[in-house]
Amino acid sequence: MISRFVLAVGLAILMAASSVSAYVYLGSRQSKIAAPVQKPIAATPRAQAFVLPGTIYLAQAGALYSFSAGRFHQLTPEVGWTQPALYPDGSRLLAVKRSGFFSDVYVLTPYGGVVAQFTNNAAPARTSWDIATNAWSFYPRLSPDQHTLWMSYDGPKIAGAGYFDVDMAVWAVPFGAPIKQGKAWTVANNYTGGDVQPVPVAGGIIYTKYTYDQDGNRTGQLWFTNRAGSAGRALTSTGASCEQPALSPDSATIAMICTYQKQVSYLTIASWNGSSLGPLQTVISDQLVAQPAWAPDGSGIGYLAPGAGAAPFQLWFLPKNAYAPPPPSPVPTPSPTPGGPHNGPLPSPTPSPAPVAPVVKPIQVTTNLGFDATSPLAWLG
Amino acid sequence: MKPGHRARKSRGRLSPLTTITLVVLAVALSAVAGGFAYFLPAAATALQETGQAVTIVSPSPTSILFSPSPSASPIAVSQGAFTVLLLGSDDDSKFSSDHVLTQSMILVRVNPATKEVTMLSIPRDLYVHLSTGGSGKIDGAYSYGAAGAAIATVEQDFNVHVDDYIWVGLLGLIKVIDAIGGIDVVTSNPVMDDYYPADVYGGDPYGYQRVAVLAGPQHLDGIHAMQYVRSRHSDLQSDFGRSKRQQQVLQAIRLKAKQLSPSDIPTLAAAIGGEMKTSIGLDKVARLVPLAATFDNPDAIHQILLLPPYARSGAPGGSLTPNWGLILPLVHQYFP
Repeated sequence: MISRFVLAVGLAILMAASSVSAYVYLGSRQSKIAAPVQKPIAATPRAQAFVLPGTIYLAQAGALYSFSAGRFHQLTPEVGWTQPALYPDGSRLLAVKRSGFFSDVYVLTPYGGVVAQFTNNAAPARTSWDIATNAWSFYPRLSPDQHTLWMSYDGPKIAGAGYFDVDMAVWAVPFGAPIKQGKAWTVANNYTGGDVQPVPVAGGIIYTKYTYDQDGNRTGQLWFTNRAGSAGRALTSTGASCEQPALSPDSATIAMICTYQKQVSYLTIASWNGSSLGPLQTVISDQLVAQPAWAPDGSGIGYLAPGAGAAPFQLWFLPKNAYAPPPPSPVPTPSPTPGGPHNGPLPSPTPSPAPVAPVVKPIQVTTNLGFDATSPLAWLG
Repeated sequence: MKPGHRARKSRGRLSPLTTITLVVLAVALSAVAGGFAYFLPAAATALQETGQAVTIVSPSPTSILFSPSPSASPIAVSQGAFTVLLLGSDDDSKFSSDHVLTQSMILVRVNPATKEVTMLSIPRDLYVHLSTGGSGKIDGAYSYGAAGAAIATVEQDFNVHVDDYIWVGLLGLIKVIDAIGGIDVVTSNPVMDDYYPADVYGGDPYGYQRVAVLAGPQHLDGIHAMQYVRSRHSDLQSDFGRSKRQQQVLQAIRLKAKQLSPSDIPTLAAAIGGEMKTSIGLDKVARLVPLAATFDNPDAIHQILLLPPYARSGAPGGSLTPNWGLILPLVHQYFP
């Protein structure tokens, strides 16, 4: 038997605890889809992070990060930095700093220190009333000899009311010279957004050109051109809708994404002979793949894709065996039975069952981060 | 001990069975109270913004007032197909709150039995007979008579029955997308615009800003998703291209929303508060939420744009002339 007073007090405490617990429990059952992403430098290294060779440079929330030996290092503050690209000799970085109305290409040390501002795309003060006189520069790349800067650039243009088309073209500018000495290498299709993602290759550049297909859909295509002012030659069809080309370290294969004009993005590779692409080979078709980049030692392809659950874009790695399986071991040839002369047919060797190649799956390197999927990865060996 | 004292003491105590019953009841009631407190803000918002009565504005002098609950044509969400009119407006300070244009009008047909969804984007510049009288661009219907006029205009011109509507303002879309943690979208090309309205957060409803949404798969927050679906200056297809992008974003929202749990409702309600109106009552919402998760076949989602020859430019004031001879059979096929 319990006294009424004790029971009343006990019940009051119990009820308070129970209602608070119910409230807290319901709150804890919220999905994590709107949970803020972690800063890369706060992330605990995963075992999978140690499989990657070299150093990868990537962008998140307007800051550049380097990633090596499983750890991230923040190179710049979160002030609009994106699209890092390496000098061919690996000594420095190019990167884009983006503001509300324009973006510029900068030269950075490998540790994020600003060495030089290459473009100056802010509108001059006398024309600042017209925001269209600002310009965008994106996707900077240096030629292998480090003498030419390639980039996508939307200026100069006819600014003013009534002229609404804004398209980028691929420009080549002598590295270190003012942009006035640069030259538009491509002629963008009107009202498409233009030509982007130049990749210098022997004898020219591969780039992504946006165009309208016969049904009026805007779509991306890889193109190759070897002279200024010429669009060059299409490497992929409008139907495949491919973009974001990346040249393998041996210059024999191009990795890209192809979306087939849908809300999908397949990791695709194709051989490259210096002037044309081989057949497209889909390597990953069940992820929203962005920004493929080859490991400098040829051990695989890094890329960005959403993580498990609702996580935004994470770093993934696809080992080479997934798209270029090692050749099968040679079939044993019949050998004479030892022990003297032999008459009649040689016994055929017992066929051993063909070894089943293990399925090589992509490795998710990071969790809970949110990389900028419009920013290519730069991978230093 | 005296007998009277023992009896008093006995009256002050309870039997174990009664005690246990009381404890169980108390725990259950207080847990329900805790849950009620958790969902109370959401319920208040939902009651305020769902189940909106719709006045159907028609040229005839008699207006029909119907409330969806009970509805003139009740939605049997568990069995029958139903049609919802999605309306999106520039509800910035350029307009008074009751007289906004609907920049986006999408008819959505949901068939729970076949798990099919059809989305038909109605060009905002389509020149039609307005339910309030006269003719004009269809995006003006809402400004003359709110949702009722927009629904009546669509019903009379497209010969369809609209069961319910959902209206979302600019900030509403931004907040919804942010509340679900952003969306993953494959943008088909760089969307560049030098004269994008800076009317949401810019402070000047007539100001402009530059926009560059780069191409490819990416994670968009509310602001950038809004830029992607709203920009039209650098699109040769203008409003048609924009409609295509709007449907992409709607699909991405649907995909993301599948991962929501009921416990997210208060957060969502707080985010959306004041930026959404719908005629769908709370009871229907409760039945629709579990239904939404079962629509998981992307091939069963049909997207229709009224591109030429369904609509052509050349009508007064830069509007589009509808080709009803082509539009009505198409609409009849997907919105029987």
